Amino acid sequence: MFEGRPGAFLRFVLLLVAIVALPLAVRPVVASEIWIFSIAAMALNLIFGYTGMLSFGQATFFGLAAYTSGLMMIHWHAPLLVVLAAGTLVGALAAAAVGYVCIQRVGTYFIMLTFGFNQMFFFIAYKWTAVTGGDDGLPGIPRPPLALGPWSISLETSVRYYVFVAVVFLLAFYAMKRIVDSPLGVIFQSIRENPVRAAAVGYDVKWYKWIAFTLAGAFTGFAGVLYSMMFGIVPLESISWIISGDIVFMVLIGGIGNLYGPLLGAAAFKWLSEAISVLWNRWPLILGVALVLVVLFLRGGLVEAFARIRGAFGGGGGRRDADEGVPVRVGAEGEART
Amino acid sequence: MTEEAILRTEGLTCDFGALRAVNGVSLSVTPGTLHSVIGPNGSGKTTLFNLISGELRPTGGRVYLEGRDVTGVASHDLPHLGLARCFQRTNVFPKLTTYDNVWVAAFSRHTPGALGFLKRASDFASVDAEARRILDAVGLAHKVAAPAETLSHGQQRALEVGVTLASSPRLVLLDEPTQGLAPEATQHMTRLVQSLVGRYTILLIEHKMRIVMSISNRISVMAFGELIAEGTADEVRDNRDVQRAYLGTRR
Amino acid sequence: MNVAFFAGAILNGLVTGMLYALMGVGLSLILGLLNIPNFAHGVLYALGAYVMISAGKAFGFLGGALTALAVVGLLGAVIEYFGVRRLYRVHSDYILLLSFGLSLILTESIILVWGPVGITSQPPAFLTGGIDLGVTVYPKYRLAVMFITTALVLGCYLFVTRTRYGAILRAGIEDKDMAAALGINIRRVFTLTFAVGTGLAGLGGALMSPVRGLLPTMGIDILPFAFVVVVLGGLGSLPGAILAGLLVGVVQSLMTAIWAPGADASVFALMTLGIIARPQGLLGRR
Repeated sequence: MFEGRPGAFLRFVLLLVAIVALPLAVRPVVASEIWIFSIAAMALNLIFGYTGMLSFGQATFFGLAAYTSGLMMIHWHAPLLVVLAAGTLVGALAAAAVGYVCIQRVGTYFIMLTFGFNQMFFFIAYKWTAVTGGDDGLPGIPRPPLALGPWSISLETSVRYYVFVAVVFLLAFYAMKRIVDSPLGVIFQSIRENPVRAAAVGYDVKWYKWIAFTLAGAFTGFAGVLYSMMFGIVPLESISWIISGDIVFMVLIGGIGNLYGPLLGAAAFKWLSEAISVLWNRWPLILGVALVLVVLFLRGGLVEAFARIRGAFGGGGGRRDADEGVPVRVGAEGEART
Repeated sequence: MTEEAILRTEGLTCDFGALRAVNGVSLSVTPGTLHSVIGPNGSGKTTLFNLISGELRPTGGRVYLEGRDVTGVASHDLPHLGLARCFQRTNVFPKLTTYDNVWVAAFSRHTPGALGFLKRASDFASVDAEARRILDAVGLAHKVAAPAETLSHGQQRALEVGVTLASSPRLVLLDEPTQGLAPEATQHMTRLVQSLVGRYTILLIEHKMRIVMSISNRISVMAFGELIAEGTADEVRDNRDVQRAYLGTRR
Repeated sequence: MNVAFFAGAILNGLVTGMLYALMGVGLSLILGLLNIPNFAHGVLYALGAYVMISAGKAFGFLGGALTALAVVGLLGAVIEYFGVRRLYRVHSDYILLLSFGLSLILTESIILVWGPVGITSQPPAFLTGGIDLGVTVYPKYRLAVMFITTALVLGCYLFVTRTRYGAILRAGIEDKDMAAALGINIRRVFTLTFAVGTGLAGLGGALMSPVRGLLPTMGIDILPFAFVVVVLGGLGSLPGAILAGLLVGVVQSLMTAIWAPGADASVFALMTLGIIARPQGLLGRR
C-alpha cells in the first residue's frame, strides 16, 4: 500500500498509535467523537480541500442520517449494519438532491445555498416535533450489538463503542484514501485549480462536482449514524449550522487539502471545546476568537504550524504550499510523487 | 475530389450587447495544415476561438468539425470530438505538478468506465506513458514534479501547449503560444509547433509576423470582427486591405 | 379567514419584506464590492437591536436608533479595517470564515452583556396603537417602520445609482484595481461601504425590535433569509434585493397565516425554484 514511501508509512503508523493512545489521553466518549467528526471533516475536505467548494451546510446530511437511523432503531429495532447503510444512503441521497441545486452556482453563492438548505432542514426538524422531538431532541436510541454471522458483540460500554468507532473510522479513512488516490482525486483538484481548463480538457465540471458532493454526503451521513448512537439521543444541534460551522473549523484548523489535516483539526477542535466548555460555558466565544486568529495569521492551519515547527528543526517534509497546505501531488499523504 | 475540411465555420457571429465582436466569419481549414489567423488587437481572433471551442455561444452562424455540427456544443465535449485549444493567457492548473497537469488532460480521453475509478491513478500505465511522452515533446521532462505555478513563463507556455496536446486532438487551436516569450524560447516554441504539423491540424493565432509568414500553409486576416483576406503568405502580404488594417506597420 | 386577516398578513409581509430588503441591500453592497457573504450580518442586526434597548432608555427612541446605527456602523468599519482588509489578496473564503468567527464572538458577547433570555421592547409612545385602514386595523408602529425602511432602501439605491460617490462605488465593484489605478482611494470606499452595509443592518434591528422581540439567536435566525434575498435577487443587484426581499417577506407571512410550520420551508422552496428557473437571480446580470 505504501510502495516504498517511508513518510507515508510513518504517518499511518502514527495514526494507528493515535487511535490506540487517544482513550488514554481523553475520555473514551470524547475520543469516539473525535473519530466520528474526523469522518465528517474528511468529507468536507473532499469537497473543499480537493474540489474547492466550501459547504457551510454539512450538518444537513449529518443530522438527516442521525435522525433516520435513530428513528429506525427506536421504531424498528433495526440492526447496526442496516442503520449504518441506511444513514450513509440518506446522506448520499440528500446530498445528491441538495447538491444538484447548489452546484448551479459557484463561490459565494454556493456557500450561501448550502447554508440556506441547512437552515431549511433545521427549521423543519425544529418544528416537526412529533418526529424529531424538536428542541428536546430524539431520545431513547438503543445501541444495537454488532451482529456478524453467529457472533453478536455488545457495544454497550463506551470503551467497546470506541473500539468499534475506531475500526469503522479506519475503514472510512481507507475508502477516502482510495477515492483520493483514484483519478477522481486529480480530477477534483483540477476543478479546484481551474474549472475553465478542466472543462476545456474534457471534464463535465458540474457532473464531477456533483459526484464529490454526493460522496461527501455519504461519508457525513455515516458519521451521523455513529453520532446518534453515542449518547442515545439525537440533539437538534446535529442538523444545525453549529455543527456545519464546527466541521468547517476542523478542516480549516487542521489544514485543508491533505488527508491527515482534517483528523488533526477534529482532534484539536474536540479536545479544545471539551476542555474549555468545562471551564466556561461561553466557549463559542473562544472558538470564534480562535477562528479569527487562525484566519488572520495561520491560514495553513495546524498542519502548517507543524510544518513550520519541523522546518525550524531543519526537517523537510513534503513540498507544500504554505498558504493552503495543499500537496503537490494527488497522494493522500501529500508526498510529491513522480 | 476536394478534401473535407476538418473545421468549417459559416457566418459565425458573436454579439456582446450592442458590440459585434465577430461578424459573419466563414473559414475552412484543411486537415494536416497549419492555418493562421492574424489581425490587429481587438479584431476578434480570440473571440473566434472561443466560439469554436465552446467557451462562448455564437449569436449567429454555425461551426462544423469534421462535417459534424458542433455549434454551441459545451466546451467539455469538444476534446472528445477531436478538438483541443490552448489559451492566450496561460491557463493551467497552478498548484498541480507539471506531470499532473498533463496527466489529467490525457486521462479525460481514457473513459475507463465507473469501475476504472476504483483503481489508483498511478495504475493507468498508458496514461502515464502518454503524459511523459508529451512532457518530453514540449521539453518539460526535467520538471515533472514541480508545481505549475513555479515554472517560468516560457515553461508555462510550453505546459499550456502540452496540456492541449494531451487530449489527443486532431485539431489544435493555439492562441498565441509564443506570447511573452524571449527570442530563444520563441524559436523553441516555433519549432515545436512546426513539428506538430501533419500529425495534427493547427489553427494558430499569432502576432509575430515572421513566424506566421514562414510556417503557415494558409492565413486568414481579421479586422473589426470580420474576415478581410485569406490566402497564402505571399497573397496576404501583398493584399492592400491587410496593409491598411495594420496601418502600414510591418513586424 | 377573512379579508382583514389576509390584509393583515400581507401587511406583515410587507413590513418583514422591507426589513429583508434592507438586510439584502446591505449584504448585497458588501457582496458586490468584496465578493464575500458576510456571515456577521445577522449578528450585527441583532447587535443593533440590543444597543437600541440600552441606548433607547438613555436617549429616547430616535436617539437610540441613531446610536444603534452609529455603533454598528463603526464596528463594521473597524472589522473591515483590522480584519477583512488583510484578506483581500487571499481567497475570499477566508473573509467568510472571519465573518463567521466574528458572528460567534458577537453572539456570545451579546449573551454576556444582556443575558441569554429573550427581551421584549415597546414602540415609542407616539406610535403605539393601531390605525384604521378600512380593510383592517394595523399597528401604527409597523406601518411607520415599513415607511422608514422603504425610505432607507430607496435612499441607498438613489445614493448608489445617482451620486458621484455611488458611481465610484460601482466602479470599484466592476474593477477594484482599475479604480485604484485611477487614483480613487478604493480602501476608503471599501471601509465606508462595509460601515454603511452593516450600519443598515443594525438600524434594521433597532427598528424591528418592538415588532419581533429580542433573542440572542435572532441574528443567526435572520441570516439565511438575508442570504436567500441576495441569492434570489441576483448578483449585486439592489433592485433585485428589494424585489426579492418583498417577495420573501410576503410569501413567508402568507404561509405563516395559512400553515405556520411550512412558513420557513416555503421560503427555501421559493429560493430553490428561483435558482433552478433563473440561475442568475431575478434581476441579476449574467
